[in-house]
Amino acid sequence: MNKSHLRYLLVFLAALLVQSTIVKYMEIVHWRPDLLLIILVMYAVQYGRKLGSTAGFLVGVSSDLISGGLLGLGALSKTITGFIAGGVSRLFQERSQFIFTLFLGGLIHDLIYFYINTLGKEVAWRVIWFVHIIPNLFYTAIVGMVIYYFAGRWLKADD
Amino acid sequence: MRFTRYLAFLNKPYLLLLGYIFLSVVLMNFSDTASLQGVRWALLQVLNVVDSFKTEFTYRKNLEAENERLKKENFYLHITNQRMREMVLENARLRELLNLKTEHSYDFIAARVIAESSEKGINSRVLNVGEQGGVRENMAVVNAEGLVGKIIGVSAHQSIVQVLTDLNCRVGARLEKSREKGIVGWGGDPWLDLEYIPKNIRVEPGELVITSGLSEIYPEGLKIGVVTDFSETDYDMFMSVRVKPAVNFNALEEVFVIKTEIPENIARE
Repeated sequence: MNKSHLRYLLVFLAALLVQSTIVKYMEIVHWRPDLLLIILVMYAVQYGRKLGSTAGFLVGVSSDLISGGLLGLGALSKTITGFIAGGVSRLFQERSQFIFTLFLGGLIHDLIYFYINTLGKEVAWRVIWFVHIIPNLFYTAIVGMVIYYFAGRWLKADD
Repeated sequence: MRFTRYLAFLNKPYLLLLGYIFLSVVLMNFSDTASLQGVRWALLQVLNVVDSFKTEFTYRKNLEAENERLKKENFYLHITNQRMREMVLENARLRELLNLKTEHSYDFIAARVIAESSEKGINSRVLNVGEQGGVRENMAVVNAEGLVGKIIGVSAHQSIVQVLTDLNCRVGARLEKSREKGIVGWGGDPWLDLEYIPKNIRVEPGELVITSGLSEIYPEGLKIGVVTDFSETDYDMFMSVRVKPAVNFNALEEVFVIKTEIPENIARE
């Protein structure tokens, strides 16, 4: 395991703790950034589909265990997000690669997550789109840009 | 050689993805098994430790201000308590006159929120009290503002509360004035929807929505929220009533678990 992987591992663990304990203080209206998704996309952009989906699965399972929700649901959505993020990132220019991938990955993640979570229930998708998915996505993107700006290089460095 | 051939799929991204999807689906199917729950509770212990550091820090910081505030509150409660005592006595006399029994008296278990769900749509909180503190699955959870939710998971020292704004939460409810019964469920954060209220019922914004007491989980009369809006359509028998929760779930810190006897069939669900 090179140092970059080790750094990502530590950041994932920290993000998991912060997401469950401190992120509530960052809430605006009822929107919160998804730190795990941000780190997952950064990792997948750097290491591609195989490691992206592996990280997605592990992060998703850990998040499911702590959240008290259905075990496997976060794992499924984050696995697919990690895989897609690792694949599509190559389509974007390097300068805007992370932010576009984060948007696309976040969108796919939330769609899978809400679709499975609401299976068999009568829910207004309009509400889910405009009250949850889109605002959360923008908030996550803004926080993601800040994290990428300050920690991106440090996480990427292989030495 | 054969073993390495089996592991070759790890080098193929699509096969690896399918493997993880398969594992996720398996996890969803075995979500409630004891061993997986054991891992979940072990992880929550770590959160408990983190929370104890955070609590210690904020506790010391706020001690003086809190003390001052509590003194004032204590004085106010002392007066209120005196008035309440008079009212209870009066109530008891009136009940006796009406030949009614006092229906319930509950014990409360005080608990603190130590963590909350990190996923959207799932709205749960982790409490620092578990089975050893007397908490059992399906016990109702309240705070001073009203109904918070119910216990959906318990370990020795922690428990998980499913709050009212969770996608899967449903509570038997009643409109306070008309006494009409319905079911309160998720209405898109931060709202709740009261369903199955017939169109001929008069509903007013500001009317209280309380628990109906028909379920064996939630005692009767707990405040759920306030009607903010309602709408009707020509093709539906029922109106759609929008409810603002009484509890501010974002600022949830201290709660009480209502200690009730949960019937076997519900406790096992």
